[in-house]
Amino acid sequence: MAKTILAVDDSGSLRQMVTFSLKSAGYDVVQAVDGQDGLDKAKQKTVDLVLTDQNMPIMDGLTLIKNLRGLGSYQNVPILMLTTESSDEMKAKGKAAGANGWLVKPFDPKRLIEVVQKVIG
Amino acid sequence: MKTLPITEVRSLLSAVSDHGRQHLVEVEADLSQTAYLLSKAIEKLNASFMAVHAAVINQQKSLDALMQQHHFTVIETGQIDMFNKIIGEEVNVAVTGLQFQDITSQLLVRAIKRVNGLKDLLQELNTHSDEIDTVNEHHEIAKLLDEMSQSLHTGSHALSGGLRRSVDQQNMASGEIELF
Repeated sequence: MAKTILAVDDSGSLRQMVTFSLKSAGYDVVQAVDGQDGLDKAKQKTVDLVLTDQNMPIMDGLTLIKNLRGLGSYQNVPILMLTTESSDEMKAKGKAAGANGWLVKPFDPKRLIEVVQKVIG
Repeated sequence: MKTLPITEVRSLLSAVSDHGRQHLVEVEADLSQTAYLLSKAIEKLNASFMAVHAAVINQQKSLDALMQQHHFTVIETGQIDMFNKIIGEEVNVAVTGLQFQDITSQLLVRAIKRVNGLKDLLQELNTHSDEIDTVNEHHEIAKLLDEMSQSLHTGSHALSGGLRRSVDQQNMASGEIELF
């Protein structure tokens, strides 16, 4: 059975490229348009990995991670940030919030899949 | 004792405010139009990319069926494998490139917010210029300029503080990856 990845990004084009890349590698993808939408969808079905942007309306990526880590079912689910942000300060905040990795946009599909496979197989 | 040209100062402040705001409205309109055109362009590019990819997948299925029915030489199968490899590599490059709109839109939103902030700052010049009391013009104009300076400083500081830079990318090369 294919593993499911929750892709959270307010950019439709970015969600489309993430979904295309991950589906090509055999993963199922659930899309969310912002942090709140991501949290709602994560509660509906526990996914195998969360890939989230940082800067989004309504709820940003760091707040989403903190909320997810507060849910019992997401304490051990890998969460990766995929964002334009590349400062050490933001990475430290991400790590403190509970992120397992940091990917700076734009992503290369091959490298994204390698990382996802390394994290969830 | 010479008096300060208060009417001219007021007129100058008002002109700087009005003309400045007028130009910034144009800048904002251009930036908004650019953002809109980029979003429409990416929609079309994404749709074309997906359609081309679907066609290539179907083409490959047809080719696989043909290869089962007919004998292909080693050279021919080698060429097909080479083309598949090239297509795969170019698809990766295209997916990386097609993320330009996500990155540029963040820069445009930041630029539009700054333009709006500048418009508000320039409005302050006009507001202050209306408050000059011509009876005590020396004192009033000194007070005005001081208030204006403070206002610009505070407004500029607040504007910069609220517009943290979130995009440092200078090209479309793929970004770094770090696992914690």
